[in-house]
Amino acid sequence: MLQKKICMLGGFSVGKTSLVRRFVQSIFSETYLTTVGVKIDKKSVVLPDKTVDLILWDLAGEDDIGSFRVSYVRGATGLVLVVDGTRAATLAAALTLRERVEAEFGAMPFVLLFNKSDLVDKWVIPDSEIDDLRQRGWQVYLTSALTGEHVDDAFLQLATMVTK
Amino acid sequence: MHRLPKEVRGWIYDFFYSGHSIAYLKIDAELRVAAKGGNLDHYGLSSLRIGKPIAEQLEVMEGLLPCPELPFHMGMLELPGGRVADLHFFADDASVWLLFLDATAERDNKQRLQQKAYEMTLLQERERQLNEQLQATNEALRQSQEALSREYQRAEALLLNILPASIAERLKAHEKIADNHAEVSVLFADIVGFTEGARSVGPVTTLAILNYFFKAADRLAEKYGCEKIKTIGDCVMVVAGLPTARADHAQALARYALELRKAGSRERFAGEPLRLRIGIHSGPIVAGVIGKRRFAYDLWGETVNLAARIQTSAEPDEIRISDATYQLLGPGFVCDPLAETELRGTGRVRMWRLPA
Repeated sequence: MLQKKICMLGGFSVGKTSLVRRFVQSIFSETYLTTVGVKIDKKSVVLPDKTVDLILWDLAGEDDIGSFRVSYVRGATGLVLVVDGTRAATLAAALTLRERVEAEFGAMPFVLLFNKSDLVDKWVIPDSEIDDLRQRGWQVYLTSALTGEHVDDAFLQLATMVTK
Repeated sequence: MHRLPKEVRGWIYDFFYSGHSIAYLKIDAELRVAAKGGNLDHYGLSSLRIGKPIAEQLEVMEGLLPCPELPFHMGMLELPGGRVADLHFFADDASVWLLFLDATAERDNKQRLQQKAYEMTLLQERERQLNEQLQATNEALRQSQEALSREYQRAEALLLNILPASIAERLKAHEKIADNHAEVSVLFADIVGFTEGARSVGPVTTLAILNYFFKAADRLAEKYGCEKIKTIGDCVMVVAGLPTARADHAQALARYALELRKAGSRERFAGEPLRLRIGIHSGPIVAGVIGKRRFAYDLWGETVNLAARIQTSAEPDEIRISDATYQLLGPGFVCDPLAETELRGTGRVRMWRLPA
């Protein structure tokens, strides 16, 4: 049985839990319920050549990212970095979390999700910035846990990357 | 612990065991379940099978072991059944023990508090964002107000160029302007031989001459408190006694006429001194603004017509005034009487010549 540990990383209230719920259960709740501690979900992903169980670690998005427990990421094979497209500061938070994880466990595959793409009016991330990140060869997705837009694409992409 | 009396140890054990639903797993060096016990049922883990790999049975363990940093504590892990456990890992030779302590209530409490704190932070972030937007909007508003105010001042300046200030003020207040003025003096002046002169000097020089003449008319209007009403071709129309009434309107306009004539004599037109033909009459008129988009402040009435007729009847270099104006001028102005003359549309009119 092939199973891979994936960690959801990002600031608080960026939509990590909602993305997991959308991906695993195809549902979305308008109610914001902050995650405390650790929550694990599993989803089987069928790829052309194999099936993989993604073990998704939904970690509490700390307000103070300095207090994030990097050791929880031990054994992970991939990261889902989540940014709230309506709050510019959450991009820096996601990138800092990735740096801390890589400093501890080395580089690993990741996808970068700019979430809440349905909130067009409040969107603050310029297209040019997203283009710049893609120029680095990063897998960047504009997702909406509410509509489901690009959510499966992002997880499938990561599943492909971690099983290579 | 062994220093505590047996009773205390027993009480603490019961307290934790019942209060925190303690359960344990022992994992061997091959990462298989070696032993299990305690209240595993509470966590939905009673079906874990001895001898099978732990990661296949408990997903959270995927990749976690071997763990170099033991003992290790994972706070508030939500298990598939919904219960929340504090997970303690500690080593014992080649084995690793996992201790489960229930933390469902603590997690729920912490979640409530954390939720409030984050909601507050989100509100503050949103408030800051909105404030920034508000400031940007205010700045844009201020700039467009400034631009508007500059435009307004420009429009104001233009309006004052074509209308007397007091009339412009009233027009801005959306007043309809049609005023009776019982006592004013009206002057017409034009250039003698303008059509022939213009033909001989060409349009550029002609324009320069007109410019000189009308600028002098403007400048002197300001000097003597008269209003230049309009120009018609080479003719200028000036009034004294409005928009503000004045008793000496005839004297003011007479002095104006004298100096305008003098200004003309200092310029040359088609090889000769610029000569004017000037006429003045005094009486009642109606003044008002007509037009909606292109304003024109103008005067109407018999007084205006007669002033124009007197002007056309004047000789070159002559300032010809009506008897009404003459009566108003008084002894300060010595005038030469002219023979009564038939003026078109008016009949015989008594007129005077204002000498230098």
